[in-house]
Amino acid sequence: MSDNRHKKEFRAKQEHSDIINIEEEDILRLKEDNKPEIHSLDEIKAKDIKTLAEVGMVMNENNRSGSYLCYGQCGFVTAQFIEGLECIPIEEALEKYEWLKEKYWFKAIRSDENKITEAISSSIPRGFFIRVKKGYKIKKPFQAALFMTENTRVQGLHNIVILEEDAELTLLTGCTSTNSIKKGLHLAISEIYIGKNAKLVSTMIHSWGPQFDIGPRTYSIVEEGGTLINTYCSINPPRKIQMHPFTHLKGDNASAKYVSIILGTPNTCCNIGGTIMMTGDNTGAEICARAVCKGGNIVQTGLLIGKGKNCRAHVDCAGLMLSNEGMIEATPALRALNPDARMSHEASIGRVAPGELVYLMSKGFTEEEALSTIIRGFIDPGIEGISPELDAALTEVAEISGHGEGWDMIPIRNR
Amino acid sequence: MIEIKNLHVTVEGKEILSNINITIPNGEVHALFGPNGSGKTTLIMTIIGYPQYNVTDGEIIFEGRNLLDLEIDERARLGIGVAQQRPPTIKGVKLRTIIDFYSKNNPEKADYISTQVEKFEMQDFIDREINANLSGGEIKKSEIFQMVVASPKFLILDEPDSGIDPVFLSKIGGMLTDILKSKKNQDKITTRKSGLIITHTGDILNYFKTNLAYLMMDGMIGCTGNPQEMLEQIQQHGYEYCINCNRRKREFQ
Repeated sequence: MSDNRHKKEFRAKQEHSDIINIEEEDILRLKEDNKPEIHSLDEIKAKDIKTLAEVGMVMNENNRSGSYLCYGQCGFVTAQFIEGLECIPIEEALEKYEWLKEKYWFKAIRSDENKITEAISSSIPRGFFIRVKKGYKIKKPFQAALFMTENTRVQGLHNIVILEEDAELTLLTGCTSTNSIKKGLHLAISEIYIGKNAKLVSTMIHSWGPQFDIGPRTYSIVEEGGTLINTYCSINPPRKIQMHPFTHLKGDNASAKYVSIILGTPNTCCNIGGTIMMTGDNTGAEICARAVCKGGNIVQTGLLIGKGKNCRAHVDCAGLMLSNEGMIEATPALRALNPDARMSHEASIGRVAPGELVYLMSKGFTEEEALSTIIRGFIDPGIEGISPELDAALTEVAEISGHGEGWDMIPIRNR
Repeated sequence: MIEIKNLHVTVEGKEILSNINITIPNGEVHALFGPNGSGKTTLIMTIIGYPQYNVTDGEIIFEGRNLLDLEIDERARLGIGVAQQRPPTIKGVKLRTIIDFYSKNNPEKADYISTQVEKFEMQDFIDREINANLSGGEIKKSEIFQMVVASPKFLILDEPDSGIDPVFLSKIGGMLTDILKSKKNQDKITTRKSGLIITHTGDILNYFKTNLAYLMMDGMIGCTGNPQEMLEQIQQHGYEYCINCNRRKREFQ
């Protein structure tokens, strides 16, 4: 089976499960040439600073190599150039570098791949361009925030990240909106190119209002010896989110890991998956999906395609039901095209074991503290050196999950 | 410290304990002997407050409060600490999570805990998933270490000495000796802690003074007496002999 065939199937699967509606009006809005609302981090309102902090954006840029903020429709960068690291708005990058369109713009994904890529490709380019030059290992994380303001009904972005040979970057991306808007559409395409022996650790944290529709699309190509670690955490789920990143481990010895942590609440629909295609020899892939359901529908999918010699892969989808309402569907899938492939999968869905809950309560934890602790353990991605931002987001997910209504199905006492 | 009066307990409608009367004063440690299935674990789970143990009659008074009016976590915060025999593993939850809980918003306690981690050589345990892939001895050490940091007023230990080698027994015994002993802290002297210990072998009793022992048979306290004497009789002649001995004593009186 050719690589294109796998991509076609991936495309068909996405179309089939597409839950994000894009109206003609939305496409027109994406084509509007809006003026920037602000030009620096200092202009952000106090209430929005707090909201942005929840998704990992720190205004003092302490322990950051730089920042990009898309505030409404327009974005700006605080650190234009740090040695080895370049980040500029994508619209500037397209003007500055002719090679960008030729080599990278809609090259990991076709512009007519799906309705989101079509909508973005027909709009005014917005988003960030990040390049880490050959041999540079950027120690401090770069932060990017995609923030929807009162004036934003639709946000559409196209980001490009290029790590040249032997480069390293930690990228923190936070996506959220100002608290006063409850409804909106956020679309984003990210094309990620990881060069030979380069490494990208990408963490994305989302927090949305109850009437948002969210459609991020990420496509990555990893060359020989390259590494991608991609973690996604949703603190407050939107009404609908569909996210199926696709990674092609093209080079030998390349590796990729996806981690997703999703909280489902009533009247939300989360369709979260991922596909990693391994065509290089000795490649490694792992998908780890965790879902906590207090209501709504959660669909977890993970597909690993092993074509290269000696590729190894594992996909693990696990769900925790905290309510009698709602649904989790977990579908881990493997496809081997090489007899040397070593691939495995597991899926489990269950509720909190009452024995675990009362054990912690016997140590003095309140019922809510015990539940939050168990959930925090369940969603732990098992990544060494977890960033403080992700740690805080996971704790927030656990605390939201462990509080309020929706978990009285755990039979630990006569209620 | 704790007074159990006329306690009757059912599990799934079946009476497991009947007419249990035990009083453990401040600073005293009592032992609980009895064959498997006699109701020992039911008794301690009832004191702790596990929900599946249904008290049909009686009361458990701890420092003047009836524990039966309190939830399991409220009992723990009142000072009831337990080291379980078969604690569950909890995915992703580390021993450090529980230890950090005890030192939450208390930097002094955090300092104390870090010294205890070194003192009892717990460095290799604290960042591992709790109770996962541990030997029997390691699980007991982990459970008792939690008591070291929680420092409850009343200790409940479910077979801390079963199935462990002499080296681990010595470590656990040392930890328990340390927890139980009276301490001087900031010119304040705390009295020796109290406890109730289930043991089959009695090995753990060699590490600290045990004031009294009970023998439980068929959900009732069959005999009360000196722990060492009672243990010797059980080891030499079995549980039945011990009960009959008590009966003979009563008949003689």
